Amino acid sequence: MAEKAKIGTMWLGACSGCHIAVTDLHELLLDVLELAEFQFSPVLMDTKYDEIPEMDVVIIEGGIRNEENRELALKLREKAGLVVALGSCAEFGGIPGLGNLHSNDDLTTEAYLNSPSTVNPDKIIPNEGVPHLENRVRPLSEVIKVDAVLPGCPPKSEVIAEVLLALLKGEPIEIPDNNLCDVCDREKPPTGMAMDMIKRPFEIGEPDPELCLVPQGVVCMGPATRPLCGAQCPSVGTPCRGCYGPTDKVQDPGAKMISAIGSDFGVEDDKAVDPEEVANQLDDIVGTFYTFTLPAALIPFKVNKEAN
Amino acid sequence: MAEEEVKIVLFCCNWCSYAGADTAGTSRMQYPPNIRIIRVMCTGRIEPQFILKALREGADGVFIAGCHMGDCHYDAGNYKLDRRMRLVYRLLDDLGIEKGRVQHDWISASEGEKFASTMRRVSKTIQELGPSPIKDELVEGA
Repeated sequence: MAEKAKIGTMWLGACSGCHIAVTDLHELLLDVLELAEFQFSPVLMDTKYDEIPEMDVVIIEGGIRNEENRELALKLREKAGLVVALGSCAEFGGIPGLGNLHSNDDLTTEAYLNSPSTVNPDKIIPNEGVPHLENRVRPLSEVIKVDAVLPGCPPKSEVIAEVLLALLKGEPIEIPDNNLCDVCDREKPPTGMAMDMIKRPFEIGEPDPELCLVPQGVVCMGPATRPLCGAQCPSVGTPCRGCYGPTDKVQDPGAKMISAIGSDFGVEDDKAVDPEEVANQLDDIVGTFYTFTLPAALIPFKVNKEAN
Repeated sequence: MAEEEVKIVLFCCNWCSYAGADTAGTSRMQYPPNIRIIRVMCTGRIEPQFILKALREGADGVFIAGCHMGDCHYDAGNYKLDRRMRLVYRLLDDLGIEKGRVQHDWISASEGEKFASTMRRVSKTIQELGPSPIKDELVEGA
């Protein structure tokens, strides 16, 4: 039998959810293990960061949040033949990227002092022996060269297996480049996606089971999102939050969706609708449209943070 | 700061505002030279991505000029832009970008004087705000 490929996994600024998706491969794991063996995985195995082995493929979860993330990413790049960015944090920065709206002082104060679940009577903010936060979250590809990306929060296990097997066999990887609406079963109104109010999902209760969510007043990121998930969320009445990120045609999915919602809102009564209405009905523009992609957006952070 | 040092990207619709700029030009009205016009067929074509990209690539301000309400060559493109801009203003606010760096207004083909005076006003506002910090912050190290 030919020598097996050596693969490794790593987590940086992320929640380990993508690793859960890797361990969820179930029987597909056997197919992967036929071609490869895991050599390095701090989440699943006992590993030492100063003894990172040479590997053929390393799968990295998470973006660059602190100095340690950067150092390990650079180290792994040296040791690995191919680097796969796994999940939306690695590809776009992900949910931790929303921290780019706040200064590091605000973030640490909130996390260690103010948050309701924190018990910290001595008001200690750890600053020794812990990696320092960088000035903002960055996608992995801003720090090291990435050979393949697999978005998702987390990516579906079957897709991970497919990509991993293709890489190990040296086959090309095809990631669909249409949008989520293409694979969503909900009925699109033939006249277009007009909406006349914006509601949060709990406000409309159970949505109509057949009709597209946008005309029902829910901001669904489907039009600006890759369909790798097979439209799981809309199929159970939950709007897409855009975790798989944009298609290749779009650089900034949040801006693209702002464009779409801005046009769709009141489109049937263009000339009478109050233009300010749509902005008034949305509570949190960045949180709604850039949930997963702020660090990869055209303007990926809040400017003049320190001044506030 | 000298006028030339701030850069302002101006998106004009083909039918009203670009013709308005022409009117200003043929009537020899003066307006500041730091304005770079990009012509689009209709302001309804302008996506927030265009505005953000201009700011990312080093524009210190962005202005969008379209037909007056009811005058759109394609019926209602400017209404859509108007709604979109209200969202963009809130987005820019969340991203810490000063009010006034991005603005929009309506200028018709015959309003050469309004074109020139608007450009003078916008240029002055943006000079007062100074150069945009976005480009520098983007390349700033960790």
